[in-house]
Amino acid sequence: MSLSTLRAALLAAGAVFAGASAVQADPVTTTDLNGRTVTLDKPAERIVMIPIPSSSTVIALDGTTDHLVGMHPLSKSAIEEAILGEFFPDAKDIASDIIASGGSSGFSPNVEAIAALRPDLVVQWGHQGEDIVAPLTNAGLTTALIQYGTEEKARDIIKLLGTLIGKPEKLDEIIAWRDDTTAKIEAGLEGLSDEDKPSVLYLLRAQTELRASGTGSYNDFYINLAGGKNAAAELQGLKPVNAEQVAAWNPDVILLNGFESELDVSRIYDDPILGATNAAISKRVYKMPIGGYRWDPPSQESPLTWQWLATLLHPDLFDFDIRGEITGWYAKLYGQTPTAEQIDGILRVSMNGGGANYDRFLAD
Amino acid sequence: MSDTAIHARGQSLPARGSGAVWLAAFGGLLIVAMLVSLGLGRLSIPLPTVAAIVGHLALPVPESWTVLEERVVLLVREPRVLLAALSGAGLAMCGAALQGIFRNPLVSPQILGISPGAAFGGALAILLGHAGVVLIGSSFVFGVAALVTVGLIARIDGRTETATIVLAGIIVGALFSALVSLLQFVADPDSSLPAIVGWLMGSFASATWPRLALAAPAILIGVIGLFFLRFRVNVLSLGDDEARSFGVSVERDRWIFFILVALTTGAVVSVAGVIGWVGLVVPHAARLLVGEDHRILVPASGLLGGAYLVTVDTISRTATAAEIPLSVLTAIIGAPVFAILLRHSWRKEHAR
Repeated sequence: MSLSTLRAALLAAGAVFAGASAVQADPVTTTDLNGRTVTLDKPAERIVMIPIPSSSTVIALDGTTDHLVGMHPLSKSAIEEAILGEFFPDAKDIASDIIASGGSSGFSPNVEAIAALRPDLVVQWGHQGEDIVAPLTNAGLTTALIQYGTEEKARDIIKLLGTLIGKPEKLDEIIAWRDDTTAKIEAGLEGLSDEDKPSVLYLLRAQTELRASGTGSYNDFYINLAGGKNAAAELQGLKPVNAEQVAAWNPDVILLNGFESELDVSRIYDDPILGATNAAISKRVYKMPIGGYRWDPPSQESPLTWQWLATLLHPDLFDFDIRGEITGWYAKLYGQTPTAEQIDGILRVSMNGGGANYDRFLAD
Repeated sequence: MSDTAIHARGQSLPARGSGAVWLAAFGGLLIVAMLVSLGLGRLSIPLPTVAAIVGHLALPVPESWTVLEERVVLLVREPRVLLAALSGAGLAMCGAALQGIFRNPLVSPQILGISPGAAFGGALAILLGHAGVVLIGSSFVFGVAALVTVGLIARIDGRTETATIVLAGIIVGALFSALVSLLQFVADPDSSLPAIVGWLMGSFASATWPRLALAAPAILIGVIGLFFLRFRVNVLSLGDDEARSFGVSVERDRWIFFILVALTTGAVVSVAGVIGWVGLVVPHAARLLVGEDHRILVPASGLLGGAYLVTVDTISRTATAAEIPLSVLTAIIGAPVFAILLRHSWRKEHAR
């Protein structure tokens, strides 16, 4: 091997490891949710997402799965089982063996598996301690940290990811949609007295035990935004409760989580205690829809959650065209147009269809 | 460690009369605890209404309450109070019998590996998508398996030292705890994992009549069996050689007790998760009051244990809007009580 061919080979290898260095792009510098400065030579093109809900946010900002090279096994199963799997069939080839346990539990990274994917950006949780972050930074991987919880943090995540992958227009559009929807709902609720706000109970668990969302949760945020009162406001965060406590709150509306796949609204209607609450008697028990991600936690689709809930809580004040919003925004977010059947699936029409006021979400 | 046994023999057994008085007192305590618990809850229902709801099943009382109130009292509180009473009685009687048989004040169903074993059995059933009978059966089988393993490890050259039993129990308990962690590790974080975690924490929140009907027979067999065999605890507590000189088949009797204890503990764990401390602390408290005679001590522990767990469960479901896990409360209340008892009995022994 001559010196020149060796040099060419080394250069080629260097080019692979440094990414496509020939492409000229401006460096990106921003601050992550932990206040750390993140600097990239150019917008990220090989991204590993360790936090679960945000992989779909990257897909939405990017409009493609091409730049997502690794994600949490549970993100992957959530994508494969729902509509994003139908939109992006190639997502099944994205690596998901990036968790240290080898399985799907926890967020401790498998640094070697991640390094082998040659990512230019690794996104990790920033509120679960240094132990799940240090292995990544010690390995020299560029890491951005995000935190879970409030609407403010949800927006910061979208801004951070949008900046790092170089989609400032898309992120502005998504943020503007949130502002716009919030303003519309607030305008619609103008002058509404507290007595006219239905009490709403969100159950994060209901299949075997009951777990309610109290003050400070994201569910509490959008219940209030949509013109409801959180029935479990006296709780802080997510807490186990008993059926008698639910009876004592006697909520007007019950929202069932979208996480427990076998959980059906009949769980409430058939229960002798829960079935005697105002919510069950007036048929206002709904299971949270599932779109690009479940509508329960914050995501790029949150404005749809808010419109859906505001319509159900105040059918006389709001007349959002949810199906139209889904069609319009899925084209912008994912570049895809869902069919009527797919929208039915997102809104869980087969289960929620019998609930009060759900007829306005049905196809004409 | 045969201090307890020596004292058992050294101490004159209490007169049967005083034993009966204690049993009546504990029985009264249990009934009061159950009635108070029935009257308390997050849904405030006036006491006369509660009494009327319970009474109208047998007496002609005019109905002046809502459907919801009736359902809460009859379908939520009643089965829950009964299950707590039965579980407390079962666990405490198991503890009293085991402490006598092993002549060791430290043993309890938890230390002998039965609870961790039953916890593994239950977690395995949940992971495989089972509930009800399979869950109870699996808890029971693995509870017995854990106990048998402890027995086999501790039996060296045909002798079973109490210290080796406790150590073997810790070993087997640690093994099954690790296996439970392994199950949690492979469980689906969105469905079976929260179910396993919630169940392991211990709660009567899901008590219903069908659940009570499922668990009650097994617990009752254990409770009744332990009650009728309570005099044999006295014999076994004399030690193997002396018990044999009475013509007792020590090994066989011991196994009968083990099976009764595993049945009771497995059933309790299967419906309410692992509830610590009741089987350890309640027999000690009862022993201080009624003495060492297991003919009195075993039923006294049962009544006191029932009253204790009903009270703790009442606090768990009424203190805050959120359910407080039972094991947390039993330990927070149990640990200081145990510490006081320990100092008390130590001082008494050394004063002699």
